Amino acid sequence: MKHPAPRQPQAGITRRTFLQTAAAACSTLIAGTRVSAKKPPLRLGYLPITDATPLLVAHGLGYFSQEGLDVERPVMVRSWNILTESFLANKFDITHMLFPIPVWMRFKQNIPVRVLAWDHTNGSAVTVRGDSAIRTFADLGGKQVAVPSWYSMHNLVLQLGLKAQGLTPKIQPQSAPLAPHEVNLFILSPPDMPTALLGKKVDAFIVADPFNALAEHRFNARIMRYTGDIWKNHPCCVIVAAQPFIDQHPVVVQKAMNAIVRAQAWCRENPTETAHLLSRDGERYLPVSQEVLRRVFKPPDPDLLVHPHWKVPRIDFQPFPFPSATRFIIDQMKTTRVEGDISFLSGLDSGRAVQDLVDDRFVLQAMDEVGGMAPFCDCHMGLPYTREETVEIR
Amino acid sequence: MKSADRHTYHNPRQMGLNVFFMPRKFGFYYELMGLALFAAAWILVSYVIFSRPQFSQFQGFLPGPTFRALISAFADERFWLSVFTSLRRIVVGISLAAFFGIPIGILVGFYPRVQGLSYSAIQFVRMISPLSWMPIALLLFASFESAVYFLIVMATICPVILNTTTGVRNINPQWIKMAMNQGAGNYQLIRTIVIPASVPHMLTSLRLALGVAWIVLVPAEFLGVSSGLGYLINDARDTMEYDKLMAMIIAIGILGFTLDRLFQKLQKTLRWSWNE
Repeated sequence: MKHPAPRQPQAGITRRTFLQTAAAACSTLIAGTRVSAKKPPLRLGYLPITDATPLLVAHGLGYFSQEGLDVERPVMVRSWNILTESFLANKFDITHMLFPIPVWMRFKQNIPVRVLAWDHTNGSAVTVRGDSAIRTFADLGGKQVAVPSWYSMHNLVLQLGLKAQGLTPKIQPQSAPLAPHEVNLFILSPPDMPTALLGKKVDAFIVADPFNALAEHRFNARIMRYTGDIWKNHPCCVIVAAQPFIDQHPVVVQKAMNAIVRAQAWCRENPTETAHLLSRDGERYLPVSQEVLRRVFKPPDPDLLVHPHWKVPRIDFQPFPFPSATRFIIDQMKTTRVEGDISFLSGLDSGRAVQDLVDDRFVLQAMDEVGGMAPFCDCHMGLPYTREETVEIR
Repeated sequence: MKSADRHTYHNPRQMGLNVFFMPRKFGFYYELMGLALFAAAWILVSYVIFSRPQFSQFQGFLPGPTFRALISAFADERFWLSVFTSLRRIVVGISLAAFFGIPIGILVGFYPRVQGLSYSAIQFVRMISPLSWMPIALLLFASFESAVYFLIVMATICPVILNTTTGVRNINPQWIKMAMNQGAGNYQLIRTIVIPASVPHMLTSLRLALGVAWIVLVPAEFLGVSSGLGYLINDARDTMEYDKLMAMIIAIGILGFTLDRLFQKLQKTLRWSWNE
C-alpha cells in the first residue's frame, strides 16, 4: 500500500478535502480486493425455529467469516413454502429443510437439490393440553392432531407411532365422524398450534421447538412424547444446496460446511450460550426469549421419557447423514398418508435415491477437521459412519 | 335514504361507497363519539370473551395490556424503524399502483373498445388473492423488498383502475359533447375534461387502495424482511404475545387513520366547484 506523500500545508487543501482524497484512495483499494475475490456473498435462509440453530450459531460466532467467507446475515422467512420457493428462486445458497422436502423436490419435481449434511437431530415433540388424558399414542384414537406439513418428519414419525398402536391416520374434514381407531390429521401453521390446542380445536400437535416449549411455558401444555424418544437420534432438518451452486462454488460449500460443523460441535458444548445467542436477548435470530429457549437446550425431564436409557437430548447436533436413516425415511414416506400425489415414491429404490440425493463429501471433510465423529458421538467408535436405526414405540 | 337527503349527489349511481369516501360533512363531535363507541365495544367484547378462566392466557387482547405494550413499543427504536419501513412500503406500493393504474383506468374509461377488451381480464385478476402471487413475486424480483412492493401493487392496482374508470365514465356527457362540438380531439378531451373531472374518483381509489395495502402488508412481511409492523405482528404470533399483537394492530389503525386524513385534505384541496 502506498502512503500519501507528506504534503506541505497549502492554502487550497483543507483538512476535509485531504480526508476525502485519502478515503477515496482507500476505498478503491478495498474495491480492488472485492473484484479480485469475485465471490458474491453467501446467502442463507431460515425459519424462526430451533432447527436453524447451526446456521445461525455459525453466523453469530463468526465462523463463516473465519473460514474466509463473505456472508450476509441469514434471512428469516415465516413458512416452509416461502423458504422452499425462495430457495428455488435462487435467493438462498444454503438453507435448512425438513428431510422429506428435498426428497420430494428431487424425485417428484426433478429439482437438482442435494442434501449436504444433517442440520440437527431430534428437536420435536408431540404436545397435549396440560389437563389432557392423552399419555401414549394409543390414547390418540378418535382425536384431532395437527402436523406442520405433509412432507415433514413430524407427519412421518407421528404416523409411525399411530400405526404401531393399530390406529388409522385419516385426512378428512374436522367435522366428519371419526371412529375410535382413527386419528384425523391436518395441517396447521406452527405459530397457531398452541393457541388451537388451548382453544380445543386440536387435541394434540407435533411440531419443532420452540413451539412446544412456548406451549409449555405459556399455556401449561405437556409434552406427550419427544420424537427423539421414538426414533433415537433421528434426523429432522438437513442442510441443502442446489447442485449448480455446488458445482460452481465447491470451495465455498466446503468452507460453509466447515463453519456449520464447528457450530454444531459448539452448540453441544454450550447449550445455555446457544439459547442466549439465538434469542431476542442475544443476537435476535429468533423472536423468542432465552427463558423459553433454555427449555429446549436443557436435558429433557426424565419423567417424560419412555426410554431414559437412550440418553437422547431434546435437540442434538450431528452432521453426518447416515444412509440407513435416509433409506428409512424414504421407505416410510411410501406408507405415510399425505394429501397429494405420492406415486413418484413407489418406483423409487431407496438405496439409489440416497446416492442421488445426499452429497456427503463436504461434511466428511469438515468432520475430519474437527476430529471425525468424536465431538458428536456417544456412538460406536469402531464403525463411526454406520448405525442401526432404533425405532421403538410404546 | 336519509343519508342521501343530507348529501347531494349529482349522480345517484355513485351512492354506495361515496357515503364513506366523499368529503365529510358531519361534525368532529360525531367522529369522537363513534370512536368512543368502537372502543367501548372492544372493551366489552374482549372482557366477555377473554376474562373467562379458560382463556386466561389470552388476556393480552384486553385494552389494559394492549396499551401497556403500545407504550413500551413507543420507547423501542425497533418499533419506529418498523413504522418507517411499513410506511415506506405502503407509500411506494400505492404510488406505483397509481402510476400504472390511473393511466390504464383513464384509457379503459375513455375508449369503449379498450374497456371491452380489458373488462374480463380486470375482473379475472381482481378476484385473485394478492398472496397467491407470492411465488411469482419471489421468482421475478431479486430482493425480498421488491417482492413486497410487487404484492402491494398487485393488491391495490385493481381498485385504482376500476375507480378511475368509474370516474371517467361518470363525467357529464354534455361536457364532452360541448367540447367535441367545438372541435376538441381525444387528446384535448382527456387533458382538459376527463382528467380534471375524474380526480375526485382517483383520490377515492387511492383511499381504498390504502386500506387494501395495509391488509396485504402483514402477510407480505412473511417474506425475508427484517422490520415492519407486519413483521412485528408475525413476531408476536410466533411467540404468542397477544398484547404486542394488539398494540401493533392499534398502531396500524392510528397510522391508517392519519394517512386517510391526509388524503381527505388532498381531496378537499383538489375539489373544483364545477365538478360537484
